[in-house]
Amino acid sequence: MASQGMHSPVEQFEIKPLIELTAGGYDISFTNSSLFMLLAIAVSGVFLVTAMRQGELVPGRMQGAAEMMYEFVADMVRSNVGSEGRAYFPFIFTLFVFLLFGNMLGLIPYSYTFTSQIIVTFFMAAFVFVGVTVIALFKHGLHFFSFFVPAGAPKVLIPFLIVIEVISYFVRPVSLSVRLFANMLAGHTMLKVFAGLAVMISGAGGIAMAGSLLPFLALIGLTGLEVLVAALQAYVFTILTCMYLNDALHLH
Amino acid sequence: MVCKMGTDMAKSGMMRCLALVTGTGLSLAVTGGQALAAGPSEPGLPQLDISTWPSQIFWLVVIFGVGYVMMAKVVTPKIGTVLEDRRTRLDGDLGKAREASAEAAKIRAEYEADLEAARNDAAAFARQAAAEAAEKAAAVEGKADKKLASKVASAEKKLAEAKAEAMENLNTVAAEAALDAVKGLTGLKATKAQADKIVKATAKAMAPQEAN
Repeated sequence: MASQGMHSPVEQFEIKPLIELTAGGYDISFTNSSLFMLLAIAVSGVFLVTAMRQGELVPGRMQGAAEMMYEFVADMVRSNVGSEGRAYFPFIFTLFVFLLFGNMLGLIPYSYTFTSQIIVTFFMAAFVFVGVTVIALFKHGLHFFSFFVPAGAPKVLIPFLIVIEVISYFVRPVSLSVRLFANMLAGHTMLKVFAGLAVMISGAGGIAMAGSLLPFLALIGLTGLEVLVAALQAYVFTILTCMYLNDALHLH
Repeated sequence: MVCKMGTDMAKSGMMRCLALVTGTGLSLAVTGGQALAAGPSEPGLPQLDISTWPSQIFWLVVIFGVGYVMMAKVVTPKIGTVLEDRRTRLDGDLGKAREASAEAAKIRAEYEADLEAARNDAAAFARQAAAEAAEKAAAVEGKADKKLASKVASAEKKLAEAKAEAMENLNTVAAEAALDAVKGLTGLKATKAQADKIVKATAKAMAPQEAN
């Protein structure tokens, strides 16, 4: 494939250092991935601050969008965590906005999708996992471990159920991170494959060029799908975080 | 691929820890990535090059941290305040509207009560006026009737007197006419007294016939 001039579909995920940096023996270069993290926060921050600058009683389009985003996350926290979740709302909101803008910016051609990096999604998921576990231990103490014993189960089954519950609890960060990572990886790889196919066929010249229309049309459809996936996965990551937080605060 | 990960892992304990936990979730992605990354020059999925991990974690923590502070200190309080202000303002306005509506209903009720009272007053006044007018009319009519009756009575009296006088005069005229007739026919002279006596007697004799 490479010999025909087509780029590898996974080349887009390569990390390229923009500013070389090292600290304590670690390479902490500012990379294309870091740049798009920064852009996600900067674009969302500028958008939200600009939209709310007037703080009008009757919101305009921009302010309406900003408020809608706020209300969306606020409703999510309210309905999934309850009033105790209020303290964690800024974190949940930042998480949602960061992932949403990261995913969406990643769909712009030649940009970078940092959520397609397993280490990024895993670190966020691990942070959430450790965070909610610490919150649960602080709030409930040793009573927290009753979380692994399902209520009303027959006594014989309890040892098995505890094993299952413990496994499912520790799988949480893995499933949470892999879900987002795999969706971004698969989506962007697929986009690249179809785009590469269209370019390759059009390179054939003559009447064969018409054949490139098919992968091109598929690419348009897939792009629409990826916009949906980008928003949906940001939502899924955020709502699962809310649910884990709810478990930590209220156990079962 | 896995071998490369192993050698690199020796570099840092932290990386090893993360790689171990992600291992289960990644095994599927690794095989998929290797299948996709065909060609001998391709090292596999760039995501699994753990030499890039410290940088990504570092910048994720820094940038997400800055983003969190910005959202927590600037953005969410601002949006929250605007929404809260709107809510209180709307509640206030709704309350005011409800009050105004109640006030309007009260004023309307008062107005209608006033109107009803005025209507009743007017009706009573009209009734009273009609009664007074009827009374006055009756009084005037009674007076007129009385006056008329007295006039009729006096007129009848006068008529009777005139009739009686006329009858008296008629007797005198008849007596004189009779005297003249006696004198002319017979040449005898009759006295006035005789003539009167005869006329009266005749008139008396005729009166019952007249009455018939």
